[in-house]
Amino acid sequence: MKDAEAIVFVVDDDSSIREAIESLVKLVGLRVETFGTAQEFLRAERPDLPGCVVLDVELPGLSGLDLQRELAAHEIKLPIIFITGYGDIPMSVRAMKAGALEFLTKPFRDQDLLDAIQQALERDRTARQHSRENAELRKRFDALTTREREVMSLVAGGWLNKQIGFELEISEITVKIHRGRVMNKMGAQSLAELVRMTEKLELPKAKDQSLKTR
Amino acid sequence: MERNQTGFWRLAAQCLAGGIALALVTLVAFKLQVNLTIASLLYLTVVVLMAFMDAFVGSIFVSVISVLCLDYFFTQPLFSLRMADPLNIVAVIVFLGTALLITRVMSQRKRAEAALQQVLGELESKVQERTAELAKSNDDLRGQILERQRAEEALQKAQAELAHVSRLMTLGELTASISHEVNQPIAAVVTNGQVCLRLLALETPRPEDVRTTVERMVRDAHRASEVIQRIRALAKRTEPQMVSLDINDVIREAILLVQREVLSHGVSLQTELASALPPVLGDRIQLQQVVINLLINGVEAMAPVTDRPRDMLIRSQQPEAGQVLVAVQDTGIGIDSETAERLFSAFFTTKPSGMGMGLSISRSIIRAHGGRLWVSPNPDHGAAFQFTVPTNA
Repeated sequence: MKDAEAIVFVVDDDSSIREAIESLVKLVGLRVETFGTAQEFLRAERPDLPGCVVLDVELPGLSGLDLQRELAAHEIKLPIIFITGYGDIPMSVRAMKAGALEFLTKPFRDQDLLDAIQQALERDRTARQHSRENAELRKRFDALTTREREVMSLVAGGWLNKQIGFELEISEITVKIHRGRVMNKMGAQSLAELVRMTEKLELPKAKDQSLKTR
Repeated sequence: MERNQTGFWRLAAQCLAGGIALALVTLVAFKLQVNLTIASLLYLTVVVLMAFMDAFVGSIFVSVISVLCLDYFFTQPLFSLRMADPLNIVAVIVFLGTALLITRVMSQRKRAEAALQQVLGELESKVQERTAELAKSNDDLRGQILERQRAEEALQKAQAELAHVSRLMTLGELTASISHEVNQPIAAVVTNGQVCLRLLALETPRPEDVRTTVERMVRDAHRASEVIQRIRALAKRTEPQMVSLDINDVIREAILLVQREVLSHGVSLQTELASALPPVLGDRIQLQQVVINLLINGVEAMAPVTDRPRDMLIRSQQPEAGQVLVAVQDTGIGIDSETAERLFSAFFTTKPSGMGMGLSISRSIIRAHGGRLWVSPNPDHGAAFQFTVPTNA
């Protein structure tokens, strides 16, 4: 599984553990960067690649759980695999609830760590894919005129052209033209796709007017 | 009666001896036809002899007989008690006076001697008495010293045992931290072992990587073993052994056992160990125990602190010749001067957990080493515990 296009960050205060994990991860062909403290990791410049963090819970100063919170606060959505010497249950529950992907007790099986890393990288890749798509959608959406956005919102809300025309006080023909432009600009092939896009963009959907017409 | 009788026989013997001596002198002097002066001298000799032999009565008896003999045999007319020449009368009287005087002086001398002898004897017996008394009190003292020594030994043994128990309790409190300290290198060994297996399974062998990894495994296994040895040494119950040691080594070994505890309480521990310190004379384990106690104490004193960094500093230095000083400074809640001294008494504690023995035991350990342990407040926050240990010179 050669995958140089992904990176694993290892944060552990014990240099022996860092070295060991580094050589294990390198051996499966992944890029590794190691850090002795949480602060060091926060300060470091991270390459824009799919990645994950192998994080020691008992770090001096800022602990692993503190770092998890800190990353969340900074909207850094790197998947976290916790490693710990104690493995006490309340701690692991807290970590998992806060979104940790795995909680391994030292010493752990190498395959367990590698599996967790693969899973974490996969998750990050997907998340990155989504955010890339979202960014593209957002770009397209931003290119719409105000009127087009209104029309898009109403169309996605299930309104008929006639209703939209009435609502916006424009002719049905004009609504059709706007609708065509929206579909074109957003790159949507069907109404269903347009609706999905609206959901992804988390736009305020216009209230369903289908009942009103009856 | 008995004594009077022996006294009488003694007198009789003296008179008899004197008589015989006089008879001999008279016979010799008469045969040699000596004059009055020579005869007087000869008789006087007998008197002096008698007096010298401590025969007072005999001496008087001899004096009187001598006068009669002089008168009878050596003054004109011969063989009569009459004396024609008045000069002779004077001579005989002078003889008698001299003889009696000698007798008296001699007897006085004898008596003085006897008195002296008696005083000497009394003195001797008194000296003996006093010597006996002294010997007795000396024995008593020796017994007391022995008893005291025994008590001190018992006390030391009890203190050593208490120190041991307290060490075990401290180790108990540190279990989580210490096991982490052992687990960490073991976890590294496990991961490195797995890396090795993977390296060995590769199609193209990478012997250099295998070597590096195995070397790391050896290093980490040693590290784990070292921690275990430290624990065993602390847990073992041994007589204190005073040896020459580097106080910085003691501090470093103590830190090895508590650093995890320190870190897990969010405390940052700095060290300022003076280089080239002279060796101290002490028991490695007990001094380690003191350092551990002070470090844990500092960590606990900082537990309630949330508004400033929890910093701890351990220093070693030589403030003056002949001793080495170790100071543990914290930025904890500090102590007021009233509590300061009570801190060191047994069972005094400000903490919800703990028996309050740590500082008391630490102080008795330092005292047994001939040093001092005290506490002083820091100018801003917290306190500084310091102790001295004499150097091994």
